[in-house]
Amino acid sequence: MTGTRKLDLAKIEPFKISRTFDAPRELVWRAWTEKDHIAKWFGPKGVTLVQCTLDMRPGGSLLSCMRSPDGGEMWGKWQILEVAGPERLVFINSFSNAKGELTRHPMAPVWPLETLTTIRFAAQGARTTVDLEWIPVNATAAEIAEFDAGKWHMTKGWDGTFDQLTDYLATAR
Amino acid sequence: MNDAQLNLTFAALADPTRRAILARLARGETTVTELAKPFAMSMPAVTKHLKVLEGAGLISRSRDKQWRPSQLAPAPLKAAAAWIDDYRRFWDDSMDRLGEYLKDLQQELQTDLDQPKKKDDP
Repeated sequence: MTGTRKLDLAKIEPFKISRTFDAPRELVWRAWTEKDHIAKWFGPKGVTLVQCTLDMRPGGSLLSCMRSPDGGEMWGKWQILEVAGPERLVFINSFSNAKGELTRHPMAPVWPLETLTTIRFAAQGARTTVDLEWIPVNATAAEIAEFDAGKWHMTKGWDGTFDQLTDYLATAR
Repeated sequence: MNDAQLNLTFAALADPTRRAILARLARGETTVTELAKPFAMSMPAVTKHLKVLEGAGLISRSRDKQWRPSQLAPAPLKAAAAWIDDYRRFWDDSMDRLGEYLKDLQQELQTDLDQPKKKDDP
């Protein structure tokens, strides 16, 4: 159930990522939905989850604070829409402040304020495939364009260009 | 780097031709004529792209030489790259970390299951 909230999904292809884990679905589900578990893996490498409050039910939320190795802190919020264990988890994620009010990332002022994440957990014997889809919701045309243009840097492809640039930048002073 | 500057950088990077031009410039400074060659594109069209890149601070063009070679400006690219890299990796990294964590978790659970058995042993 996604409740009564109106969801206006962007009419673009979502960002998709899929991974198969060598663990039973029940365990993968718990790793995604229980606070103590989430804190152990959520976020980019090198980042630690320093605070996390979670109310895992439709209408509930997760509010977390991540600290990067350089000491920078960033708050984020999930507005939880659907908790259909152990098959489907749907939430809206956003940057936020410590009070849980939605905010813009300072480095990404045109990034959609709200993005909808849908995660499907499929059991394959003792293994579990997780399919994640990410799409702007209730977003302006400019935000959708930013997300859509951004897909080229969210996947590893980047038509190879970025890797060359990254190599170059590693040596440039 | 301020937000307006970063937006300019991203707008400039969103175009595949401009990314290809940057990749070419990563190998060293060059002229408009040289840059136009692989693109089947007129010199004015290339010049237009160069102006966007220059406006975004991603390249600089020498004024002291007649042929005005273009070269990469590393600082704004680095700022953009740092942000992009974090974001690009967000879900990818999280999934990697989840995989590692699940492995550890399974091992712990296995140990927990094994221990009572040992107690039962005579």
